[in-house]
Amino acid sequence: MPFKQGKWRTGRLLLLAVMLLVVGLVTSGCVEGLQSIGWSGGAVSDGSLFVGSKEGRLVAVNLADESRQWAEPLKETGQTGGFLGSCAPAYGGGCGTGASGVAIYGTPVVYGDRVYIGGYNGKVYSYNVSSLQMDDVYPPEGYLEPIVGGGVAAQDTVYFGCSDGKVYALDAADLIWKWEFETGDKIWSTPAISDGALYIGSFDKKLYALNTADGSKVWEFETEGAIISTPLVHNGTVYIGSFDRHFYAVDTATGKQIWQFPAEEDEYRPDNWFWAEPVVYDNTIYAGCLDNKVYALRADTGAKVAEFDLGSPVSSSPVVVDGSIIFASRDGAVYAIDTGLGALKLLAEIGGEIYGPLSASEGVVYIHTQDLTMHRVSVTTGAVFRPISLESKD
Amino acid sequence: MINVLIVMAHYLGDNFGLAIIALTIIVNLLMLQLTLKQIRSTKAMQELQPRLSELQQKYSKDRQKLAQEQMRLYKESGVKPAGCAITMIIQFPVWIALYRAVMLSLAAAPEGLLNLSKYLYSWPVLYAALPLSQDFLGMNLADPNLILAILVGATMWLQQKMSMTTPTDPKQRQQSQMMLWMMPLLFAFLALSFPSGLSLYWAATSIVRIILQYQVTGWGGIAREAGKETEKDKKYVKFVGQAERKSTDEVGADIVVTSDEQQRRDQGLGYPEKPSKMRYLPGKDRTRHRRKK
Repeated sequence: MPFKQGKWRTGRLLLLAVMLLVVGLVTSGCVEGLQSIGWSGGAVSDGSLFVGSKEGRLVAVNLADESRQWAEPLKETGQTGGFLGSCAPAYGGGCGTGASGVAIYGTPVVYGDRVYIGGYNGKVYSYNVSSLQMDDVYPPEGYLEPIVGGGVAAQDTVYFGCSDGKVYALDAADLIWKWEFETGDKIWSTPAISDGALYIGSFDKKLYALNTADGSKVWEFETEGAIISTPLVHNGTVYIGSFDRHFYAVDTATGKQIWQFPAEEDEYRPDNWFWAEPVVYDNTIYAGCLDNKVYALRADTGAKVAEFDLGSPVSSSPVVVDGSIIFASRDGAVYAIDTGLGALKLLAEIGGEIYGPLSASEGVVYIHTQDLTMHRVSVTTGAVFRPISLESKD
Repeated sequence: MINVLIVMAHYLGDNFGLAIIALTIIVNLLMLQLTLKQIRSTKAMQELQPRLSELQQKYSKDRQKLAQEQMRLYKESGVKPAGCAITMIIQFPVWIALYRAVMLSLAAAPEGLLNLSKYLYSWPVLYAALPLSQDFLGMNLADPNLILAILVGATMWLQQKMSMTTPTDPKQRQQSQMMLWMMPLLFAFLALSFPSGLSLYWAATSIVRIILQYQVTGWGGIAREAGKETEKDKKYVKFVGQAERKSTDEVGADIVVTSDEQQRRDQGLGYPEKPSKMRYLPGKDRTRHRRKK
């Protein structure tokens, strides 16, 4: 076809090429996994379930009548930019994801008459359990780096890890700083406390044991990969999975390795990271892995008892309900592992992506999916109850 | 490409910024032939500009004739006007793949890191290397950066300016000017919305193309605008000057002859009163024919 006006044709082609490029870049920039949305689990206390919603709000759900109460939205850092409303994940923005608030990743901590959450905006908040009125905030001025892990409370102190690599200990009454401990890299995991010691993993590939009174280091244990999983403390042993595709058992007193799975001589390797918190039942550790499997290991020796294939990565932490270990895979399937028979049973398929930890109360498992919905499944019957929307009406 | 990027970062001292630059250079080297083809095509278009302008002036009232002459000129010179645009479109999937690799490997958000796990091969080095450090020259590659955004716009402008042709037609010139400023401004604005790791990739790509462009065309459009003469420009100016200074009897310019006029000359029918385009071969005595009239 002859070019009647070659220059005009070239110009139009170039313009079309530019537009295609921009559309391609913008749409591919706003792809799955590039925006911070949040995956808070639920904390059950006195008939209420507390969860951080994708709108950046603490929500209290009355489990009896399903009524909901919302706290005020968490405030963003104010450092948004660009006409896309900031695709920069650090600021909790998103490209048309539907999430408009500060992302909340950690499960709320209920302690006394307060509930605590950490936001991706780098602040820790405490609320009144009954009214959800915000009482205190840390830091009072400015912001820390994003907080991704959950917190833990004990002995009138709240403990959080932060992306600045530090563990913070705050007074539970007024969130006044008590001490902090700095690791070598970001902390995205939730700490665990037992017998006056706090255990936490860091991206610097180490598991730390700290004295809860003053934050002094008791010991550190080094792996070959980053640690994001929450440690499990049981019978004087800390169990932790790492990005190096190994699962470790470490002595709480000395910090020495007791065993690792797989063992050095084993040729078999899990195919991906250990991300979810493990659970223990009847001297058996159940550890979910991003290679779609749950590994059942003997707590004393690390020998593999069984492995269960869930068909999709396991990133949400499980719960133990009536002798069954309840796991959820990312594609929305909920499974129950019968510890007596050692069998895997599909409990329900709820149709939403599951990233965050599970919670349970009175035989019902609560699952927070990525679509502002809290799902409920009966462990006994597998019945799926009507989901509860966490979307506020404001 | 994601796995390659992560391995490179690991072996470059856990430096993701260096890995982005290195992979950008490697990908551009792999597409070198396409890129050079595009640059040479653009350069050839630039060299044709004066002759195209002559044709436009000569046939401004006859669009069909103009189109024919333009097409013949393109054919003779071997230039494809849409060639450079088509080459760019072919390269798009590679650029977008590299762009996605950078964005996914950066894993700035927790969802990004979780999502990244499904792209990993079973190479032990990958699992131990992640998550990548996001610090580079004092910047956090996960956050937007104003300096990098300005660098993206500036390098893109420079690269476009070097490769830009200068049309004589006012409408086309206006369109060129718009393109020259629109794309750099748009990308600089986009760079303020995305992690600076992506801006680093864009800036590195532009710098590589500037170097390649300079190798082929020199400073190109920048030199022309500044009034500096390149060797090729000098030659062309001389050529035009000599042609203008010569009398019509001595002109030896290439002029296309239509077939019917060639026939008339061959048949000794002389030339029409108003001479149309004719090809004069060196040595032919045109004066003799004129005297006859």
